[in-house]
Amino acid sequence: MNFQGIYDHLEAKDAPGLVGTEEPRPKDPEDKKDKGRFGDACVIVEAAQLPEFLELCRDDEALAFEVLADLCGVDPGKDDEENFWVVIQLLSVAQRHRFMIKTKVPKARPELPTSSTVYRAAQWHEREAGEMYGIVFTGHPDPRNILLPDDWEGFPLRKDYEFPKEYHGISCE
Amino acid sequence: MGILEHKFEENILTTKVDWLLNWSKCNSIWPLTFGLACCAIEMMAVGGSHHDLDRFGAGAFRATPRQADLMIVAGTVNFKMAERVKRLYDQMPGRKYVMAMGACATGGGPYYKYGYSVVKGVDRVVPVDVYIAGCPPRPEALLEGLMALQRQIRASEVIRKPATPA
Repeated sequence: MNFQGIYDHLEAKDAPGLVGTEEPRPKDPEDKKDKGRFGDACVIVEAAQLPEFLELCRDDEALAFEVLADLCGVDPGKDDEENFWVVIQLLSVAQRHRFMIKTKVPKARPELPTSSTVYRAAQWHEREAGEMYGIVFTGHPDPRNILLPDDWEGFPLRKDYEFPKEYHGISCE
Repeated sequence: MGILEHKFEENILTTKVDWLLNWSKCNSIWPLTFGLACCAIEMMAVGGSHHDLDRFGAGAFRATPRQADLMIVAGTVNFKMAERVKRLYDQMPGRKYVMAMGACATGGGPYYKYGYSVVKGVDRVVPVDVYIAGCPPRPEALLEGLMALQRQIRASEVIRKPATPA
């Protein structure tokens, strides 16, 4: 199925938390500030209902997304000052199609339920998104840091991150 | 001994203790099996048959720091790893040497500006004897670095106290 087919199917199934789509479009020649949108089409999903949505994607026979190929955080910077994004890539080997899901969590309180109850592969990805952006995945079975040391301060991939001056006596300047 | 066989009578050899110790040391530098990133791939190439690190007596990569003389820091050192590097260095027995291989180990390399997790040179953690430029250095550069270390060892004095600057 192509993107439109998957979207229509999800809508027909009344998928929980489905908000809308974001599709690529060219630059508006009239508006100089408009940058257009690049990349693949994705659906926007309500953060609180993400696990239920993923469960439908996994268990529906026509969609059959067996693989969670990627889950990552995004600090969109000027594109969206209010939110962090969590972007999920699903893959169906049986149906030979891919699918991108985007959820938005407010920067003031970046919390969403864990997806690892649906896809266990999400555990490590969520740990990485957690330590890099400070996004809290509630219900995660093991929310320790995965790459950074346990006592690392700050969230390095946030746009407003400030580099440490020293770490355990080693100068960072 | 090939061509030298039976050419001499039974004999004694006089030499300096420094010379003997340095000669034996610089021809048996055993490195620690230790790779952090892509430089380690070049280091493996040097250990292989084409470049053949064993010609210099330095091909015996030891899997424990307690038997190693040389630590080749081959790759990016980040803060989490730096403490382990220091611990390994501390576990090596005396007269030990450190070689910073490549741009990352020398000074942070391409991660100098935006690498929040990268130590900007392994010399902030352990004392370095030889720096090798390159990203990654070619195998010939690593051999050149090893020969530079051998020259350093030959010039060093074990028995006498080094002259302290006034």
